[in-house]
Amino acid sequence: MVIYEQLASNLIYGMLLGGVYGLATMGLSLIFGVLRVVNVGHGAFIMLGAFTAFWMFILYSIPPLASIVLALVIGLALGFVIFFIVMKRLIDAPELSTLLATFGIGIFIEELAKFFWGPDYVGYSWNIGSISLKFTEVPLTKFYAFVSSIIIALVLYLWFQRTKLGKAIRAVVEDREGALSCGVNVNMIYALSFALGIGLTVLSGVLVTLFTPVGINVYMGGDYTLKAFVIAVLGGLGSPWGAFFGGFIFGLLENGSYTLLGLIPGVEPFGLTRFVSFAGLLLILLLKPTGLLGGE
Amino acid sequence: MLKFKPLVPVFIIYIILLLIGATIPGMWQPIMFVMFYIAIGVALNNFLGLTGYVDFGYVAFLAMGAYGMGVALGYFTYLGTLAIALGFVLALVFSTILCTVVGGVALRLRGAYFAIATIGVNEGLRYLIEGARIWGGSEGIVLSGKLRQTFGPEFANFLSTVFADVCLIVVVFIASIVTVYLINSKIGYALLAVREDEDAAKIMGINVTKYKLIAFFTSATIGALVGASAWTLKLTYVFPEDVFFIHYTVEAIVIVMLGGAGTLLGPVIGGLLYGYLKYYLSVILPGFQLLAFAPLLVLIVVAFPDGIVGYLKRKLRNTKVYEYIV
Repeated sequence: MVIYEQLASNLIYGMLLGGVYGLATMGLSLIFGVLRVVNVGHGAFIMLGAFTAFWMFILYSIPPLASIVLALVIGLALGFVIFFIVMKRLIDAPELSTLLATFGIGIFIEELAKFFWGPDYVGYSWNIGSISLKFTEVPLTKFYAFVSSIIIALVLYLWFQRTKLGKAIRAVVEDREGALSCGVNVNMIYALSFALGIGLTVLSGVLVTLFTPVGINVYMGGDYTLKAFVIAVLGGLGSPWGAFFGGFIFGLLENGSYTLLGLIPGVEPFGLTRFVSFAGLLLILLLKPTGLLGGE
Repeated sequence: MLKFKPLVPVFIIYIILLLIGATIPGMWQPIMFVMFYIAIGVALNNFLGLTGYVDFGYVAFLAMGAYGMGVALGYFTYLGTLAIALGFVLALVFSTILCTVVGGVALRLRGAYFAIATIGVNEGLRYLIEGARIWGGSEGIVLSGKLRQTFGPEFANFLSTVFADVCLIVVVFIASIVTVYLINSKIGYALLAVREDEDAAKIMGINVTKYKLIAFFTSATIGALVGASAWTLKLTYVFPEDVFFIHYTVEAIVIVMLGGAGTLLGPVIGGLLYGYLKYYLSVILPGFQLLAFAPLLVLIVVAFPDGIVGYLKRKLRNTKVYEYIV
């Protein structure tokens, strides 16, 4: 019976983490959907969010959930700056250019962070109790992170559906020339979407620290970049909502398979779980590149 | 012979570098450091430069080469010197297997999808080796003790210093010859068409898949040989964390872009500059070389997408030197 309880508690953990994974991938998908640019430096922005939460907590004892707003503002500002300095010139450039540029930006942010904050792992401890279930304890911090990511995704969804700007962004995703001829300022939409994508990513970095409060490091982002790729492809590249649900699927599969692979003697379940997720990535890319949830 | 003219400046650079290394005391190691970067630049250029596809998992081929040599020396040490030959054979076999898999699967994808798929291949392979504990798993293969036992300390030392360097130099020379052959042959023209507009090339009757695979295979093979000689033979260990490290891919891409993608001389000049700068920056600013290189990469992409050699080619058109710069 122990294994079932372990599996159940890991699945609950996976679902909570999956919500944050989903939110952390929405920015990547939004930027790809609108600009057709894969932000290879994605993880660096998650790292920035994590450090925002860390410094706010350490210096001013502001709880991480309150740092969300600040992280969003930082991300939006950074997004606009990067767009107008670099990305604007690369809108119609071949993929090679945009991939390399975003990679370079990511490394630059990481190295700057290392320059100022050092290469060591840091962390904080924010203990606000936990919910007791029959077989496991769910820390409230993780639960709040999960709830926040759902609320943020919902707000975003309503914003996209109801407001004029949201509709304009959807129009550009659908058909750039069509939107242009209907009077949408496409360049402004590019800038806004890029900034919003980066803002969401930095914001989700704050929530990520609620799961790994002591794993904050300038190079922590690489892992999330790779996971975000898998999740984005799972949900169909370019679809933020697909990405959000993809996050749940990924969180559940990751934690479920970790438990099950741990049963095989003589293997390292951590490495094999990663292998399974990347093998899955390749399979989806091959068989259904529009994503598991994607339509056309 | 006319089409091999562009090799002249390339070989002059190599020979000058080697002469500097051989004659000035203390310069051999820095020169070999630079040679390694030239090697990965030239190797990757055969694919990325000629086809325009971004392979973010390129280092996996160097890793296959490193593991080929590592497995041969680690598990077949009793074969004596034959194990080294077996190492090169295994390096080629492993990289060919990976090449077939990736070529058959990922090369169907384009642009961003291809780049993501190759990252997936690289990381997936690394975690398969670590997770299933293949070839020592995350503990890797450590060879120095075994080599000393089988070959004696003197010969083992010779292998990891002189022999490894000679192998790398030979690979670099061969790689440049292969590049000039590819660029000037029918393959090069077909790949140029693919790079400019793949759909148009297809409609014109070019067997796009075939030529992409040729470039991919060539590039992978050279990469595997570099991995076998510059990593396993020279360092006498193979750790999955090191050989699948994505930064090597990025460095190779920077070199290709800096020098000029799709040119013969480009990755040589790119590797020379990058290797030299990195070596001295690591002395002056240890640990912060990337801080200097990341903005440089962005700047090249935004302002000089043709690289140094691309720029030179435009400036020197209609002069006598032009035909030497390809």
